[in-house]
Amino acid sequence: MACSGGGGHGQPSSAILSPVTPGSLSTSRTRAHSICMVSDFFYPNMGGVESHIYQLSQCLIERGHKVIIVTHAYGNRKGIRYLTNGLKVYYLPLKVMYNQSTATTLFHSLPLLRYIFVRERVTIIHSHSSFSAMAHDALFHAKTMGLQTVFTDHSLFGFADVSSVLTNKLLTVSLCDTNHIICVSYTSKENTVLRAALNPEIVSVIPNAVDPTDFTPDPFRRHDSVITIVVVSRLVYRKGTDLLSGIIPELCQKYPDLNFIIGGEGPKRIILEEVRERYQLHDRVRLLGALEHKDVRNVLVQGHIFLNTSLTEAFCMAIVEAASCGLQVVSTRVGGIPEVLPEDLIILCEPSVKSLCKGLEKAILQQKSGALPAPENIHNIVKTFYTWRNVAERTEKVYERVSGEAVLPMDKRLDRLISHCGPVTGYIFAFLAVLDYLLLVFLRWMTPDSIIDVAMDATGPSGAWTHQNPDTTQRVENDEVLDTPR
Amino acid sequence: MCAQSITSTKEAKWQKVLYERQPFPDNYVDRRFLEELRKNIYARKYQYWAVVFESSVVIQQLCSVCVFVVIWWYMDEGLLAPHWLFGTGLASSLMGYVLFDLIDGGEGRKKSGRTRWADLKSALVFVAFTYGFSPVLKTLTESVSTDTIYAMSVFMLLGHLIFFDYGANAAIVSSTLSLNMAIFASVCLASRLPRSVHAFVMVTFAIQIFALWPMLQKKLKACTPRSYVGVTMLFAFSALGGLLSISAVGAILFALLLVSISCLCPFYLIRLQLFKENIHGPWDEAEIKEDLSRFLS
Repeated sequence: MACSGGGGHGQPSSAILSPVTPGSLSTSRTRAHSICMVSDFFYPNMGGVESHIYQLSQCLIERGHKVIIVTHAYGNRKGIRYLTNGLKVYYLPLKVMYNQSTATTLFHSLPLLRYIFVRERVTIIHSHSSFSAMAHDALFHAKTMGLQTVFTDHSLFGFADVSSVLTNKLLTVSLCDTNHIICVSYTSKENTVLRAALNPEIVSVIPNAVDPTDFTPDPFRRHDSVITIVVVSRLVYRKGTDLLSGIIPELCQKYPDLNFIIGGEGPKRIILEEVRERYQLHDRVRLLGALEHKDVRNVLVQGHIFLNTSLTEAFCMAIVEAASCGLQVVSTRVGGIPEVLPEDLIILCEPSVKSLCKGLEKAILQQKSGALPAPENIHNIVKTFYTWRNVAERTEKVYERVSGEAVLPMDKRLDRLISHCGPVTGYIFAFLAVLDYLLLVFLRWMTPDSIIDVAMDATGPSGAWTHQNPDTTQRVENDEVLDTPR
Repeated sequence: MCAQSITSTKEAKWQKVLYERQPFPDNYVDRRFLEELRKNIYARKYQYWAVVFESSVVIQQLCSVCVFVVIWWYMDEGLLAPHWLFGTGLASSLMGYVLFDLIDGGEGRKKSGRTRWADLKSALVFVAFTYGFSPVLKTLTESVSTDTIYAMSVFMLLGHLIFFDYGANAAIVSSTLSLNMAIFASVCLASRLPRSVHAFVMVTFAIQIFALWPMLQKKLKACTPRSYVGVTMLFAFSALGGLLSISAVGAILFALLLVSISCLCPFYLIRLQLFKENIHGPWDEAEIKEDLSRFLS
């Protein structure tokens, strides 16, 4: 946790705010925004989007903004929680429909969200993940309420099948009104621009980041008498587990001193177990099952080579984490992966068993001949690539731009919906937007904005939670560390 | 948007990489934007007559259903004696059986390893069972109203046409379900015939036309495409002739349906190909092209 850790350990604030990008020294501090992150995916659920939201929020708080997070209730985790540095999280009591995404009726979330937006004095809504129904709801309601919106897309989509045609249409509607969109790689930007028929000028590319201090090499943990290939991914079709089941027997037969460590769980685990059974590789292929994020580093440092067999990937944090641990990365050339690491740190292969085996053999030969750079050197190169502070700084610029934009009046908004989303969908959603507006008027009449209490500002410039009190920060952080990953 | 210095922009060339801090704003759009976009790379070029030829599978199945209903009508009206139908059916089945092996010179049989004795056995068992149960079939749906039976038969035959395996690789295709629906329809219709021997002959005929005939067709189509076209034409004309003897309007409508499926639909398919805009690019999910099952067998 880059920022929380930095803040918590009471570093001088000048070090914290040191600019990452040369030449972007913020001479005039940008004004503080009140940002609301909305997504169905947040802790205690674990994944890339979740940690992205958390780390970005922490770094934005560090930069003096007020940030709150809105997500749905996870089991008995509902209501309001405070995380490190007073990061307030609303767990709303909305029904989960599928894959941790809430059901959407487009309207039922308006009363709750409006209440939060008003009492927190939110100025910018930042939604995450196109799979999250709540994120799209929030974008829709925010526009009805005249707030500025930003959306971060974390995934890639195809265009060929019926389901993607439908979801792409919904994304078109949802993003047609959004002020600015953030994608995690250039490939993801191209994909999103095509899917939602957007002007590429309003789409920014801000990559994900990893915390290099969490992923440090430890060459003593690996045995150099054998070569170990590490795979850490969910064992599902999209992550290419089927390819892995072909690579394992192929290479194990060829190299008797080769071991595999596979971390992760999923429906495709069974085929790996079958392969292990059939080729009698129990002592050479270790299946670790589901890993917690904090254990990933300890698994990574046991290997020499990291293998990623994904069939589609917008950014792929896993290969950055592995490279940060000093491993040689072998990966499929799909999605945004070629953009992530420079050519001397990654061996890119076609998504086939043959090509991946060839890439792995190249890596094995390099390892045996000692041609690979030392893990520490790789780490030192990679740690400069992606930092959360840099992400926050670049995201701040997006907020800055967005907050200066004019909010479209209702009639213009309807015009745009109709002209941008096609004759049928456009009219349907224009009608829904009108209904949403009427509902909002009704809610305003029921409980006027003026009688909604203003929430205590935990973070932000006038926040109750200040950096001047490292004791409290430290304590609560520890509480949360024990509490969050479940 | 980025406040970064623009001075070096002119010299620096934009790269599609994320790990380098480039002197461009984050929302910069390069000339190379979308350069890897490909359109219609998997689009197939169709030849009109090839599509017409392929559409004959649908024609055949429509005709099968038509012939089946016509025969049932004749039986129901008492214009066709069950013995005569059974005799003809048996003769054509035997002919088909011989043809089935002759077409490919017995290769299919060698591959499956099925003996003639096994064929004979299953045929005998089937005929015996159907004959034995035909009184039950006859009275099975007595308590159900005739209208319901007709409606159900129509739905089942439609379902048969929908789920039939025309050679498309789609989730909806299920030859088992399709065959079951057809047999169910035949049992329904057979139960409305005057006597149990009628029911027996009707169900046997259904098996012949819905289970055995498509198998022979498939082989004919694969091995001797020319004769297959001839057979299809012949079959279509006989179905039309049969329908004409019952209802002229029905026959005209059916003829129009056949013509539109075999001539107009292919034409439309080829015309609509022009409007195809299938987008491909690096964001597509990669396909695993190899056969990975060899590692597990």
